Amino acid sequence: MTVATSRHSAPAPAEPAGVDNRLVVGGAALTWRSLPTPTLPDPAAVLAHSAVHALTAARQHAVHGTELLLSTASRVDAALRTELLEAGFTVGVLDDDGVHPGAPARPRAAEPGRLWLLTSGSTGRPKRVGHTLDTLTTVRVDQPGRTWLCPYAPGTYAWWQVVTLSLTQPDQHLVVVEPDELDDWPGVAAAHGVDAASGTPTFWRRTLYRDAEALARVPLRQITLGGEPVDQAILDQLREVFPAARVSWIYASSEVGASIVVHDGRAGFPVDWLDRDTPGRPTLSVVDDELVVTSPFHGAGLAGPVRTGDRVQVLDGRVLITGRLDSDEINVGGSKVSAGMVRGVLAGHPAVAWARVTGRRAPVLGRMVVAEVVLAPAASGVPDEAALVRWCADRLPEHAVPRRIRVLTDIPVKETLKSDV
Amino acid sequence: MNELSRAQIRDLMAQVLKNQDKELPGDDAAQLREIGFRSLDFSELALRVEDETGEELNFDAPGLRRIATVGDVLDFLVELQHQ
Repeated sequence: MTVATSRHSAPAPAEPAGVDNRLVVGGAALTWRSLPTPTLPDPAAVLAHSAVHALTAARQHAVHGTELLLSTASRVDAALRTELLEAGFTVGVLDDDGVHPGAPARPRAAEPGRLWLLTSGSTGRPKRVGHTLDTLTTVRVDQPGRTWLCPYAPGTYAWWQVVTLSLTQPDQHLVVVEPDELDDWPGVAAAHGVDAASGTPTFWRRTLYRDAEALARVPLRQITLGGEPVDQAILDQLREVFPAARVSWIYASSEVGASIVVHDGRAGFPVDWLDRDTPGRPTLSVVDDELVVTSPFHGAGLAGPVRTGDRVQVLDGRVLITGRLDSDEINVGGSKVSAGMVRGVLAGHPAVAWARVTGRRAPVLGRMVVAEVVLAPAASGVPDEAALVRWCADRLPEHAVPRRIRVLTDIPVKETLKSDV
Repeated sequence: MNELSRAQIRDLMAQVLKNQDKELPGDDAAQLREIGFRSLDFSELALRVEDETGEELNFDAPGLRRIATVGDVLDFLVELQHQ
């Protein structure tokens, strides 16, 4: 019997540059190199049982280039699972014993190097967007050594941003908090020397609200916000706690990658960044109040201008991203109100820790602006509804003033660390 | 069904105006234009009625009408609760 053998031996698996970076997961100190090495099906939709299993799958992908969609069981319902099996994925939970596979309904050849992200689904059902480790890696220049907090759900765009940074750059360590540790993350972070953290504005607001003193004990030098509209109030509050840290906000999505990075501590970005054509960098435009991004970091099949669905407003030389186009605009008797702008004003009240602004059905005007707020725990002289309404009335056109403001007792948050504000 | 009386709605209307440092006159015939009660205020009042009763008002039910006085507002909202 003859056996055909390849004349070329298979290339040695590539070793990511960050393979010796430290990983702290559930309090245990590991490195990328020390993670287990299960064989992943190819293509696979891996539902990570825990944070360490998610990191394991990411490392295996980086080394072997197997086609991978990484998520958690809670984000993949029965319908999505069927959809993935139909699309040729082996779907399985990855735990300490390896992958427990569900065989694909239509087996197909794998696409080497392909990574799939599920968009967060705030606009409907989760959607698959194709990337590679390369298109997900947006930080390429040498970075100062950092220990990063990773508070995100495995497989989301934000999670991959922190994970690729640590996998591909030396001296970028990770401290991963599991969902059940999330409320106590400052304690974990301080214990392990976290000096850089990335989170949604809701994540930061919740942390400031729950225990600002514990937060202040984390030796942060880099603070990053993204995933939701970033308003001036949250930037100022973080600056107050960490006067020496760099406070940055990032506009990024599965579709267009990380497209806007702002380090000057102000909400929005300078208006002269619009329509600027720089090779290798995203081009930002505004069409009918919508942010349009042409990005080299786009997902597969999304070359060219991408309508982001995010609403922008130009104010005082800054382009502010105020919210989703389909939910940010409230029509009050023919006058357009941006929920994000109103939210920014409410969040600017010293006693307000968090705010959500929506339109509510009303007679005569069709809709009326209403709000929910969470008050800061240490607020001296707790404002009542009338005081908050007056604060807004002093700063907003009359039709934009929320007339009903409900006080909630805790900041609502979802697995994506967003509030859907 | 929870229902607010005309007097209770009047109290809510006074609250809406008071929050703007305005006063609601006792006379039902007072002109809304003169006391500075406008469509935004009317909408707020309707939301307050909804919040008090926990019931949604059916704003589309009654036909268009002229609402010019305090009494018109109160009549309209009392009637809306029956739709």
